[in-house]
Amino acid sequence: MSLSTQQADNDSQYLMVAKLDNARHVSTILKAIHFKDTATIFASPMGLKVTTEDAKCVQANAFIQEAIFHEFTIKEEQIIFKINLTVLLECLTIFGNSSVPGVTTSLKMCYAGYGQPLLLILEEDSVVTDCSIKTLEPDEVLDFDFCSTNVINKIIMKSECLKEVFSELDMTSEILQILMSPDAPYFQLSTFGNSGSTQSDFSKESDMVESFQCTKTQTNRYKISLLKPTVKALGLSTRISIRTDNRGFLSLQYMIKNEDNQVCFVEFYCAPDEELDDEPGH
Amino acid sequence: MLEIKDKQHQKLSRCIMYLLFQFALRTVNSTRSAYAYMLFSPSFFTHYDDGSALLKSNDSEDEGLRCKVNMKSMLTVFKSLSSIERSVERCKITLNTPEARLVFQLYCRHGIVKTHNLAFIECETLQAVFSKDLTPNRLTAHPKLLCDAVINFQNNQEEVTLIAKPDKISLKNYVDDEPDPKKVVLTEMHLDPNEFDNCQLGVDTEITFCLKELRAILGFAEVISLPINMHFERAGRPIVISIDSDKTFEANFVLATLADCENQTTHTQSVSQNTSKHRMKSQSKQKRSNNSRVKSTAPSTSDRSNGFGNNTKNKRPAPSFDEEFEDDFDEMICNDPTVDQLSRVEHQNIPNKNTTASRSTHPVTVPNISHTRQSNTPPLQSSSERADSPVIPMQCETAKISFPAETLNQSEMQDLDEDLDDTIPGTPPSKKFRSMIFGLSQSQDSQQSKNKPLQNVQVLAEDTDEDD
Repeated sequence: MSLSTQQADNDSQYLMVAKLDNARHVSTILKAIHFKDTATIFASPMGLKVTTEDAKCVQANAFIQEAIFHEFTIKEEQIIFKINLTVLLECLTIFGNSSVPGVTTSLKMCYAGYGQPLLLILEEDSVVTDCSIKTLEPDEVLDFDFCSTNVINKIIMKSECLKEVFSELDMTSEILQILMSPDAPYFQLSTFGNSGSTQSDFSKESDMVESFQCTKTQTNRYKISLLKPTVKALGLSTRISIRTDNRGFLSLQYMIKNEDNQVCFVEFYCAPDEELDDEPGH
Repeated sequence: MLEIKDKQHQKLSRCIMYLLFQFALRTVNSTRSAYAYMLFSPSFFTHYDDGSALLKSNDSEDEGLRCKVNMKSMLTVFKSLSSIERSVERCKITLNTPEARLVFQLYCRHGIVKTHNLAFIECETLQAVFSKDLTPNRLTAHPKLLCDAVINFQNNQEEVTLIAKPDKISLKNYVDDEPDPKKVVLTEMHLDPNEFDNCQLGVDTEITFCLKELRAILGFAEVISLPINMHFERAGRPIVISIDSDKTFEANFVLATLADCENQTTHTQSVSQNTSKHRMKSQSKQKRSNNSRVKSTAPSTSDRSNGFGNNTKNKRPAPSFDEEFEDDFDEMICNDPTVDQLSRVEHQNIPNKNTTASRSTHPVTVPNISHTRQSNTPPLQSSSERADSPVIPMQCETAKISFPAETLNQSEMQDLDEDLDDTIPGTPPSKKFRSMIFGLSQSQDSQQSKNKPLQNVQVLAEDTDEDD
């Protein structure tokens, strides 16, 4: 009893305290967006949002809502800090990656405020590990200004069929061309590599497609190197939503179910590859 | 059907593939020591339309279109066999001639269609001359038997020796130039002739060929569960492995075999091959010293040399694609240290115009050597021999000289035999030996011999001696 009150007192010094029974719930999601070393963490009463970016063209967001945690207290409306994602993941998986059923690593995350390190306490089988990770000054994150009103084409489908296609993408091709159209071929992914071109066509009648809302034929090209990190998230997900807006920006949203059947979301935004001289952009 | 296609493509890596209109696939590996030919009858496919109705009758003297596709590109189509087996329902192959694209369409489950457009270039036929019906030895076995046999060999084992005797058939791993006999693992496996479906042995034989290729062939045969036939003769002659019990398709694989000097002493061809073999042994363990009869008809070899050096002969619908071919080959050359020596030596010597095959030994390095289309058989054989061993062109050329048996007189043959007895197995024959073949009476080091004017002689590569 005294221990818990003691703990509560200790915790009151922190701006944010999050407790979780199974650290894998967090580590798996973060692995899906781990294509850059640093990530920006946004904490709010709704939960955590972890953002990674690359080349000012692609952005990944992982949402871990507060319902996932079995305890989540936050004293401010928004807390933002930047952290080394590689180190964070290494700490979260410090007890190893193997998923033995029944044995879970519990996690407690504490953050005292600006300039303070992020504290992690992990426990597995009464072995406790304390981690203290320095936080960094947060950078401005891109705002892709992707609002649903501008969405021209939207497809929601099961991830299975796409997993294979994405993992077998011809990497000798510089770009991935995505065609979405209300007419045939409906949804087409194309690559143009050294050996020739490859197209994968998905019919809207397919039982893999759950929702097909395409208003206009759009063909957009994206740098394949920017989209390759999405394969990890795709592999973990069960459903994917693909949307393009009037500027050709791509939004990929993945629904990931964790071991306790709780749902988390990961989304990717990618700017189209412009062949002209003007700045690529958003 | 797809499975079969997948397997065959999977195993033939780094080869150029040739397509014929009646759907035959031919490939040869980069050292030209393995050749595969698969002919699919229209019944293999659920639907077959060769478009012959659209072809004008005066289009070409040969029927059909011959083209080649980069093997790597083909393999990307069938990259993931397991997923193909799981999800692909049918495969449609079309030839888009105007755009020079070979189109593979894989219709998968859930209404997904994957289309691969592979660029091809037209080419001439690649044809290996082999006579599987005339070989004295023939073994037929279910692939499982041989698979179980070869599994006993180490994974990195390059070559295997097949010893065929009336009482037993043995497989032994081939050890090449091993300095320390104690460090070598020798594996030998005996099979009873009764275990084979058919065993006809005319001649006791011991042949050595590439195990890796045999494994690939067996892997393929196991998938389709058809018995394989092995036709072979003696060391130095190729072994032909064929699968033709199925009405729908026929597959032939021709593998080069090592010529073994200890066993062959009388036949001139073997002798000349032995010379080459010794040379190769001393030079490089990597390149196999194969002297097979895998030969290309004149047009195709010249096509290869032309292809990389000269654009005029063949239509080139996709220039960038050709550059990729060149790059592959150039890459292979650059990465191989021995080849550089070769080209250096090559340029020093005057190509022997008197010898019937004046083709360059390495198709890429010396493309300007005449591409004359020789129709008589012996020269072409020789030229292909050279092509077999791009590392050591000279030796093959020398081998070629004595090749047409009729040109060698009796005394020369005797000389060869004597000298052969003097040689120590595993080491290059003496220089004197070499000079006898060529009718030169010099016994100095090969440096001098190299500089001799070439009449009927090909000078030996100086590198050989440096390595000794």
